[in-house]
Amino acid sequence: MNPSRQARFRYWAAALLAAMGICLMAPIAALAQSPWGRDYWPNVTLTTHDDRQVKFYDDVLHGKIVVVNFIFTNCGDVCPLDTAQLKRVQELIGDHAGRDVMFYSISVDPANDTPEALRGFMKKFDIKAGWTFLTGRPEDITLIQRKFGFEPAGDKPTAHSTTVMLANVATGQFVKRSPYDNPQMLANLLTGQLNPNSRGSGSRQSYANAVAVATDESAQLFRTRCATCHTIGGGDGLGPDLLMVSSRRSPEWLARFIREPDRMLAEKDPVAMAMLPQFRNLAMPNLKLSEANVAALMAFIDAESRKVMEERAAAQHGQHHHH
Amino acid sequence: MSTIRKLARFAVAGCSTAVFAQIALAQTALDLRKYNVPTGMEASPLFGALPFTQKVLMFEEFGTQPMPQEECDNCKVVVAPSDCNKSMSPDRIDAQLKQRLFPMPTRQANLSRPNPWQAKISECLGWQLKTSYIEGRPPGEMYAHQRYDEFAPKVYFQSVQSGARVNTGARDAAQMHRYQVGEFGPGGLYHSTASGSGFGGSTNGIEIRMHPKMPAQDTNSVWTFDGTLPPKLLMARVGEPILFRHYNGLPINVAANNGFGHHLITTHEHNGHNPAESDGFTGAYFYPGQYYDYRWPMQLAGRDTENVNATDPRAGMPDGAGGVIKIRGDWRETESTHWFHDHMIDYTAQNVYKGNAAMMNYYSAVDRGREGFKCHYADANNANLCLPSGTGLDWGNRDYDVNLLIADKAWNAQGQLAFNIFNKDGFLGDQMTVNWAWKPYMDVRARKYRLRLLNGSVSRYFKIAVVTDKGARVPFHMIANDGNIMEHAVPFPNAESKDLPTQAIAERFDIVVDFSKYPVGTKIYLVNTLEHRDGAGPKEEVPLSDILSGKYKGDPAVGKFMEFRVQAYTGQDLSMNPADYVAGKKKMIPLPKIPAADLAKARRRTFEFGRSGGTDETPWTIKTDGGDGLSADIHRVSAAPQMGAWEIWRIESLSGGWSHPVHVHFEEGQILTRDGRPPPIWERYARKDVYRVGPEPNSSGVVEIAIRFREFAGSYVEHCHNTQHEDHAMLLRWDLLNPGQTVAIPTPEGGWEGMFYEPTYVLPTWRTGSGVGPTPTTTTTTTTTTTR
Repeated sequence: MNPSRQARFRYWAAALLAAMGICLMAPIAALAQSPWGRDYWPNVTLTTHDDRQVKFYDDVLHGKIVVVNFIFTNCGDVCPLDTAQLKRVQELIGDHAGRDVMFYSISVDPANDTPEALRGFMKKFDIKAGWTFLTGRPEDITLIQRKFGFEPAGDKPTAHSTTVMLANVATGQFVKRSPYDNPQMLANLLTGQLNPNSRGSGSRQSYANAVAVATDESAQLFRTRCATCHTIGGGDGLGPDLLMVSSRRSPEWLARFIREPDRMLAEKDPVAMAMLPQFRNLAMPNLKLSEANVAALMAFIDAESRKVMEERAAAQHGQHHHH
Repeated sequence: MSTIRKLARFAVAGCSTAVFAQIALAQTALDLRKYNVPTGMEASPLFGALPFTQKVLMFEEFGTQPMPQEECDNCKVVVAPSDCNKSMSPDRIDAQLKQRLFPMPTRQANLSRPNPWQAKISECLGWQLKTSYIEGRPPGEMYAHQRYDEFAPKVYFQSVQSGARVNTGARDAAQMHRYQVGEFGPGGLYHSTASGSGFGGSTNGIEIRMHPKMPAQDTNSVWTFDGTLPPKLLMARVGEPILFRHYNGLPINVAANNGFGHHLITTHEHNGHNPAESDGFTGAYFYPGQYYDYRWPMQLAGRDTENVNATDPRAGMPDGAGGVIKIRGDWRETESTHWFHDHMIDYTAQNVYKGNAAMMNYYSAVDRGREGFKCHYADANNANLCLPSGTGLDWGNRDYDVNLLIADKAWNAQGQLAFNIFNKDGFLGDQMTVNWAWKPYMDVRARKYRLRLLNGSVSRYFKIAVVTDKGARVPFHMIANDGNIMEHAVPFPNAESKDLPTQAIAERFDIVVDFSKYPVGTKIYLVNTLEHRDGAGPKEEVPLSDILSGKYKGDPAVGKFMEFRVQAYTGQDLSMNPADYVAGKKKMIPLPKIPAADLAKARRRTFEFGRSGGTDETPWTIKTDGGDGLSADIHRVSAAPQMGAWEIWRIESLSGGWSHPVHVHFEEGQILTRDGRPPPIWERYARKDVYRVGPEPNSSGVVEIAIRFREFAGSYVEHCHNTQHEDHAMLLRWDLLNPGQTVAIPTPEGGWEGMFYEPTYVLPTWRTGSGVGPTPTTTTTTTTTTTR
């Protein structure tokens, strides 16, 4: 054996011994790294919305900062809202999206959610790059949910957990949050604590700039429940611009539509039905808001609309003045 | 050659597939067990260890020193570890602990020096920190020490949070008993600090092991104060302000945690009457290499309005020479048994489980830790209650006053501490530990003992019985609930409960047991009788007879977990007899009275702990004052109680059968009613800081408490102390504002380059709450409560 062959022999012999060792002592080997790595996650094959076959650990999780949630495309209320909320988070993290932070939505209704169905769902929400929708064999998806610590939805997709997992798989950090958390907070987590290369994100207010006490629960409600799809004077988004909406719709219609849009659509309300095609057939989800919430939101939209109109009038007045 | 190569490849591929499949299958099977204990894991192996074959570890005192008056000239800042994956090195930690406090503390966060680890952090992260600060406290006035000159620290101690290592005895000389006095002295029961030889009068050589037969813990499996065991105890005096310089010496690489725990920490002194900047706010965390100065004023609540001339001899601290230094405030607010622990947002459960928990005993005129000295039982004009303790020191004798930190744990096949981070219903260990020792024994004298029992678990509730080796219940008295000495001692067994009531996470019960009633050689056991099937909450109380006969085979943490071995006592027991202080007899510390008129006009706030969110079914949420079910957002202020006024807080868990031990920071309260009825006897005379709601024994769906906040302001929290619920994210922020304050306290957020602030917003009911006065009861109230 020449020296280099000898070295190779030693290498492979050592590899064999090591492999046998790993077999006997796999958990010890895992100790050096996060135990929530390759040995923990099922490396099952899933299918992406664009018909690619991917391995759940190798291709989806390994080494990445990820956002993972579970959805199904026939979902009436929570999934569209979850998706809209996460879309907002994705916007907030800017160019991190698709670069070092990957979004994944996994279907809990794989029998119906073909890649084509997933593409249709994504189109409705105008999903951008860096967000992959996945489907697969029911038993694999059940196992994945279990591994996340979620009660598997089984054959009742409506019962699936809406919790979002935000994780840095490389560092073994896994944080569970509600999709209805303040989107900025979720964005801070993704670009801050979960990202070891982060300098710290956020607005870096100094104490000197501490804001006056704000009692704007309705603003908070709007931010977390509405702003992902609607603006007030900023143009149409996933849903219509709500500027002066109370001058276009009766208060009764508006209050009911905010409260139970799904029922009004089921009843084929003509106004609601007419809006659907204008917005990619994306139905407004039932946000399960209380009557108090609805009243607060309507008042907020009115007040904000007035502000916008006043600002526009003032701007116009200013322009005239210059003439 | 090629055969070997093929074999190796085959072996790698084959075994990893097999291992993977095995693990995946096992996981499913584990989660479907009737008893998911330990949560999502295999049973912890015992390595041939037998129960009750190792001595319990006695708490080791931090030891306090007088504050230096000027800056140290030749002192050094903390030195970074050479390895990004390791904590600060043991010898550097010991050197730091020996060195005097440096630099001197400042009122506002010290931003005048960089994080001493800045270069190493930059190297480990792979990018250059532009800024960094030696102290991690949020900057500026909002997190400056309140009333700093008035309550300037008189004494200090420091500790480095660090990975597991061998104790070098660095704190031996800081023990008040110095291993020279009483049972800690030569020949005493507790002179030797651990099982085996070579531990006489020193903790030098104590490793972190659950049992001598079990493996030592890897440096990143367990992270404790100093990185050592025994667990640590702060001996503090009421009225003497303390500075705790807490160094974060944990690994720079966040991944170096053996699967759980976060290297960012914030330290909460549980129920301390402390200003918010020193309360361990969940968002005010600090980074490896930094310190955070916690300044605990140690004042009695009501200091500004009651006993303002400090004339009441019952309000005071032992002076070290047989006297009492009188202080201002209401002596009925005297506290006794506390603990402090991590409160990191999202990671409290993991960090506390991993070892970030210490105990703290408050010593005072009434609870001096010295028996037979100017005792209240001898003369009603004496303040000293003379609870079992000892006589050798002027205060703080621990010979017969023992802190017991009880917690369930689990470990993997290698014996390394393990945790399932994914199950947010709760985490259960299958093995019971006391002071980190698996099922230990303790030699006790045939006399009265005070046992300070703390539930330090993540999600496990206990119900503890005290029985002899013959299976007979041992009578005892509860003298303090949640660390506060009660108006009356409560005898057990009693008409409402045979054994101790349900003890949820973070609850403390101080009990007095008289071992003199038993012949020398008798073995007496602490037995856990409360069954869990999963971490969401406890199920049934298991009949004691079924446990002792071995008939019960369910939850592995149900059963005997500690043994006392009665030894001869030749001394004289000079401690009080708790039977003289039961209802109808003498009082220990009376409850502060709440004027009926104050109660009638008290602001009421309602907090419903549950799972029902706005549109979200799964996370744990809190509905405040009838609003939406919300999970934690530290930017949101849910309540702003009025400074100095009594409030009524109504805490509910009415749907779903979930159990939640609810903890309110900063002040203890008095339980007015449970489900509209008077609370059980052990809560009737008590000031509480953990309020159990849920279907478990001795609890109720609704609890109404009276509570009042005084002296200090800032951002505090209220949360479920099943810390897996707390982290996911059953926590709300409430702010105490000074009168006339119109600026919201901003919300701290952090990065390696420093803390900064984000805007804060509030709920519409934050000032108004949900009504006025106690909730009217429509049902007829009965005067007796039954044991459920």
